[in-house]
Amino acid sequence: MIRQPVSTGTRWILSAIAIGAMFMAYEAISFRQTQKNPKQTVVPGVTSITTGWQKLTTPNKRGETWLVEDVKATYGRLFLGLGLGIGLSIVVGVAMGAYPWIEALLVPPIAFFAKIPPTAMLAVYFVLFGTKLEMFVAMVGFSVFFTLAQSIYQAAKKDVSDDGVHKAYSLGASSGEVIYEVLWKQILPRVIESIRLQIGPAMVFLIAAEYVVGDVGIGYRIRIQSRILNMDVVYIYLILLGASGLAMEWALTRFRRWLCPWFGE
Amino acid sequence: MDALDIRHVSHWFGDHQVLHDINLQIAAGQIVAIVGPSGCGKSTLFRAILGTHPTKAGEIYADGERIIGPSRRVGIVYQHYTLYEFLTAKQNVAFGLKMDQTSLPFRCFKFFQWQAKRREHERLSAAFLDKVGLHASVEKYPIEMSGGMRQRVAIAQAMIMKPKVLLLDEPFGALDEATRSDLQKMLLHFYQENLAAKRNGEIPPYTIIIVTHELNEAIYVSDRVIGLSQYHQKDFKGSTIVYDAPSPVFHPDDIRDFDRFIHQRDELRKVVFASDDDVNE
Repeated sequence: MIRQPVSTGTRWILSAIAIGAMFMAYEAISFRQTQKNPKQTVVPGVTSITTGWQKLTTPNKRGETWLVEDVKATYGRLFLGLGLGIGLSIVVGVAMGAYPWIEALLVPPIAFFAKIPPTAMLAVYFVLFGTKLEMFVAMVGFSVFFTLAQSIYQAAKKDVSDDGVHKAYSLGASSGEVIYEVLWKQILPRVIESIRLQIGPAMVFLIAAEYVVGDVGIGYRIRIQSRILNMDVVYIYLILLGASGLAMEWALTRFRRWLCPWFGE
Repeated sequence: MDALDIRHVSHWFGDHQVLHDINLQIAAGQIVAIVGPSGCGKSTLFRAILGTHPTKAGEIYADGERIIGPSRRVGIVYQHYTLYEFLTAKQNVAFGLKMDQTSLPFRCFKFFQWQAKRREHERLSAAFLDKVGLHASVEKYPIEMSGGMRQRVAIAQAMIMKPKVLLLDEPFGALDEATRSDLQKMLLHFYQENLAAKRNGEIPPYTIIIVTHELNEAIYVSDRVIGLSQYHQKDFKGSTIVYDAPSPVFHPDDIRDFDRFIHQRDELRKVVFASDDDVNE
């Protein structure tokens, strides 16, 4: 029968098997490649990845390491863009869910722009904002804004019934209080979930933008280093991206559970 | 002064007349049941009394003040509870006190005074929940409670605000028979409090209008039954009041014997639930 529950112990063992299998498969491919060409750097062995780490942590002419420079640039752009995009989408999404005239005004343009892939908009951001920080922030900000504003608006409109709103008024709430104390608090866990789901796409668009027009950052470094087949550097950045993505997801899930215990799992 | 005064209220949607010249005065302390066939405009009338959907003609006054929008003078309990899922039972009941006695700037900028106020609100709320038999569930979220418990919280949430009129919209419709009976008795307890207040020369605290499709319930919990019907006259458009009579008052400890009002129930059924065909005959 499907959906038979699995014990926690079994779950841990299965996870360890999956990670171990992945690790061994990589080592096997690396071993085979090294047998063919002992100087290959395309699939370096796990131990030789330490050379990649050394390249990343050796100070350059400016006295900074690639790792620090790239992480600062990429995550600075990501968090600034996310902050602006999330802030704006919350204001716009809640306003659309609360006031039908704002909904009528903004649904068509937001629905339209949400359908354009942000990477396709790169040329527009490039023309409008140049190639500096502003361009990457605009890219990340707008990439999350349109989708997030739509999901927040849907939640604000549907997660609280008209009866719930009318009842709040009958209990003495003002319109501002209905928005903050009822709409906002009801949709908060969904907003956190939507943000969590938007971090992945935002990172995709940012790395792609850095890959194309960056002069520093993880995407830029991956492009330059992969061209000269320094895959040991590339793999470390891939591990860093995966681990940071998991960490952000874990932190947001814990934050949501702590802030909204009523929402369940 | 009447707790609720409905004067010449009519309402229509396009060509479809729903309410026709409703006139109704309800004194403080009455528990009034409104019954009527489906589509007779009970919900339209309720929304008008609540102030969310004004009628096209007529005026409604609660405690002498005209209703022009929802306010804390009129409270509401819906069939499907409509509790705030993100608040515990205690916080749900204290919600109105918080909205009524404090403001957003007060809660943000006078944090310590707000905390003191919040503790006071939660103490009052816990006491009210105790009164409706939920002393063990004050910290539970709605999702952790049964339908009956949620409805008690919803009633406490509305009643703690001491509205001039409390509207109960099919409040027990989604509950099992045992829970329904318990909550009906809770209303009878409130009525006893009204009688005690009258004896002491005070204004009775609870004026309640309950909409129900269950005739036994309507007569059992109320002291007055109103029948609303669209089938009162041949080719007449819109519902109006076709039945208005006192109903027997039960004490919560009395046996729940519906046979005591069998004649009134039959009369009510005949007058209110007569179909178009019956009228035409």
